[in-house]
Amino acid sequence: MLLASETPLGPAEIARASGDLSAKDVEEAIAELCHEYENDDRAFQIYPLGDGYQILTRPEYAPYLERFDSITRTNKLSRAALETLAIIAYRQPVGRLQIEELRGVSASGVLRSLQERGMIEVVGRAEGLGRPLLYGTTSKFLDHFGLRALDDLPRPEELQIALRTEE
Amino acid sequence: MRLPAPTSSRIAGDDDRFVVELERFQGPLDLLLHLIRSQDIDIFDIPIAEITEQFVKAIEGIDEHVSLERAGEFIEMAATLVRIKAQMLLPRRDDLLDDQDPRSELVRRLLEYEFFREMAYTLAGAEADRALHRPKGYIEPRLQPDMGELPLQLTLEDFVKAAVSLPAPPERKPHRAPVRPVTVDEKIDLWFRVLKEKTRVPFEWFMRRWRTRIHAVMSFLAALELAKRGRVRLRQDRHFGTLWIYRGEADKDS
Repeated sequence: MLLASETPLGPAEIARASGDLSAKDVEEAIAELCHEYENDDRAFQIYPLGDGYQILTRPEYAPYLERFDSITRTNKLSRAALETLAIIAYRQPVGRLQIEELRGVSASGVLRSLQERGMIEVVGRAEGLGRPLLYGTTSKFLDHFGLRALDDLPRPEELQIALRTEE
Repeated sequence: MRLPAPTSSRIAGDDDRFVVELERFQGPLDLLLHLIRSQDIDIFDIPIAEITEQFVKAIEGIDEHVSLERAGEFIEMAATLVRIKAQMLLPRRDDLLDDQDPRSELVRRLLEYEFFREMAYTLAGAEADRALHRPKGYIEPRLQPDMGELPLQLTLEDFVKAAVSLPAPPERKPHRAPVRPVTVDEKIDLWFRVLKEKTRVPFEWFMRRWRTRIHAVMSFLAALELAKRGRVRLRQDRHFGTLWIYRGEADKDS
């Protein structure tokens, strides 16, 4: 199933299709496969992304794949987009005004393009005047940065301490 | 647009140590943070007068290339700095608490922004690592061959049935098809429309629809014209091989 899929699959989804396996069985089987692929030095590996798994090529093969097609498909995000995503990732649900205040610049354009790329979504509306939209990150966000969960991001305290000791 | 520089005579001097390109900065906070960090200034004790001067000098370069909105964001910060500077000059009473330092709100914002700026770098690193892993489907599927090239797969029985069910051919009348002229411009429009959907198209794809010579010639001329204008790229791996028309760099995001 992992081989046939173009997006990450959750262990529960896989278990449901197989009928008599539990999600835990699937997790164990995946761990076993990972181990096997590692030992056999395969060109691919099963990687955890968001709450699912996906078969991806190993990093050392990236240059070959890049050379295969003359189309360069850079999907790198701009610095403005990265900063905005960082704010949303830590502060979600968060509204446009809060983001603008934090970055000191207008955010509407960045928010629109992040939404178009599926990195963020509207998760609700705030109380108060105009009931502004609140944004949160999506599973595509986790996938794009190779994260399992938001907890994978460094904790704010860790960085704060780093800032203080620097001085 | 030019900014009214508050202390223009001094700022316009030869001191260009802090000439900065505004485009490099995400916004006023980014610029301010750069000024502070690059000079090893203690962020909890910012020399406001000095920093304000440098900041105003930096944004003097704002001109018509910068959008009004972006210019406004920088000017707003300049105003804030000038206000804090003025407050610092006012006589201060000893019983003031620490957090009533006029700079404290700005420092809080700077530190908060700095955290997210650092996080953005961390994310960029994660993004680059992740990009080294390619999923299934990374190499786009090759375009399907024309159905007409597939060998027929049907039984004689099916064939007879299909033949019988066809209506009798109409009586043949000699007729002349009206010749509709086709122009290069029409073909250019067509290329644009197709390339909006796909990043690349084989040239044959066009030939399949109109099998007349004039259409082939016009399509080809259109492709050459677009390539000349840099709107598309053409690629052919070997002689008489498939000619691919790629969307140009500029139109990638459209």
